[in-house]
Amino acid sequence: MVRPANAICSVGAGAGFAGDRIDPALALVRSGLIDTMALECLAERTLVPAIKARADNPQAGFDPRWRRRLSPLLPLAAQHQCRVVSNLGAANPRAAVQAISGLCIELGLQQHRVAALVGDDVMGLQTHIQWAKPWQGQLIGAHAYLGSDLMAQALHQGAHVVVTGRVADSALFAAPARMQLLDQHDALAGALAVGHLLECGGQLTGGNFEPIGGANVPPPLSADQYARLGYPLAHVYADGSADITVVPGAPGIVDVLTCTLQLLYEVHDPAHYITPDLIVDFSQVRFEVTGPQSVRMSGARGKGVPPMLKVAGFVEQPGVLADVEIGFAGDGAMARAQCAADVLRRRLDALPAHDCQIDLVGIDSVLRGATRPSTAAPSELRVHISAACGDAATAQWVEDEVYALTLSGPAGGCSVRSEKRPRLAVVDGLIDRQLVPTELVWGQP
Amino acid sequence: MRVGDVASGRSGDKGDMLDLSLVACTPHHYEQLRQYLTPERVRAITAPCFDSPVMRYEVPGLMALKFVFPQALPGGVYASMHAGLHWQKAAIWLLLDHRMPPNPGGQDATVG
Repeated sequence: MVRPANAICSVGAGAGFAGDRIDPALALVRSGLIDTMALECLAERTLVPAIKARADNPQAGFDPRWRRRLSPLLPLAAQHQCRVVSNLGAANPRAAVQAISGLCIELGLQQHRVAALVGDDVMGLQTHIQWAKPWQGQLIGAHAYLGSDLMAQALHQGAHVVVTGRVADSALFAAPARMQLLDQHDALAGALAVGHLLECGGQLTGGNFEPIGGANVPPPLSADQYARLGYPLAHVYADGSADITVVPGAPGIVDVLTCTLQLLYEVHDPAHYITPDLIVDFSQVRFEVTGPQSVRMSGARGKGVPPMLKVAGFVEQPGVLADVEIGFAGDGAMARAQCAADVLRRRLDALPAHDCQIDLVGIDSVLRGATRPSTAAPSELRVHISAACGDAATAQWVEDEVYALTLSGPAGGCSVRSEKRPRLAVVDGLIDRQLVPTELVWGQP
Repeated sequence: MRVGDVASGRSGDKGDMLDLSLVACTPHHYEQLRQYLTPERVRAITAPCFDSPVMRYEVPGLMALKFVFPQALPGGVYASMHAGLHWQKAAIWLLLDHRMPPNPGGQDATVG
């Protein structure tokens, strides 16, 4: 479809996580159909390496992929009068805005204005955070989820690029519409629903989509189509309704089912979805097919602005989580793997049972006891152990015991893989929004 | 009847919480699933995989059911004792692969 004349903005989703593909955003801009490109690059966990990088270097702590993502995008976006909004500022939007301003000059975009939204880092306001439940360990970071108001202001003031730290993903997409909506209730609810639909990129357009009866047929797209999957865009109207579609010329599936699945994704009570901008009621949302790969969304309702902002805290707990695997292949692999798992249970029986999980990758490592029994014995599989260890030495012992199977266990133990992760918990909290100062910081060329 | 033959679904997570969405193919199947997949029955179906209470939300306008498990992912994805990260992306198959009795909601409906 062409860009409708009465749309107040047309926004594309160029990334759904920090490591997402680069080329779908370029295709969206090249289509000429969008005026704003939103890049969601900051999952809950993505802040952790950023917080650590900033602790080591005050100029670091934003998405390390920023240059790879923005270098091809910014000149193309300038050519098509398309603005860019992204949370790739991660733990350090203040440093990101300077880096991006520098990149603009390198790219010959001297007139570009870059703004950062700062204030999501609430570590300094710890005493005001109400944690959902008690936790133990060391708090290494706490970030509040900010809304779209200042991002909208930055765009209104002429920003070509807006970079943020932790914001609600939906706010990135609502920001370009916000100033032109008919009202700040149901219309804003609609813009936020658009944001929620688009924030995961290809997951709206056929990615991670299991069709009804999917177990009996091949995946709904071919490998070639998944490899070239088109990302979504939305034409947003002043009343908060929108037309959702996929970038023209690229494969994808946009229908009532793919839209419904994404609307409900990671929402808890669908009638009470809490965002920093507004509590949104999705329960009366309607989707209507308006053309090939095009769906009209309407009916989101606003239920008031929440007085509190959500906070995500990251807590490091003492110790290390060891995640180790060893493979077995060839006839009889199943019996040898089961035997190896039993050997490990004996060798590691000093570990408390609840701190140790041993299972078979290829048999029951994902759905555990709920796995449906397999009909044929696999000719290769892996023994997996995860052990929550009090210290690094214990984690090394767990890895060593797995390796020892290669000499002293059932025949053919192979292809060992070992990972040792810090024990890190994500904890939820709330903070009074009045206590969280936020501001725009403009890049200095 | 396999749930996944009359419904689609997707897994999501936030912190310790797992959420599973099911979208039925017709109003008739939505009503069947609504009657059959009570919170108690869903807890029994998922119990061999994890132990958590279940909250259920109904969205009849979208023919959808939403199940939220506040204690299914203790400590969030980094603290998981599963192989690798993000096992929960496959959790929806706990429901999709479940076989409902031919007359769900009737006298012979059983858990399991």
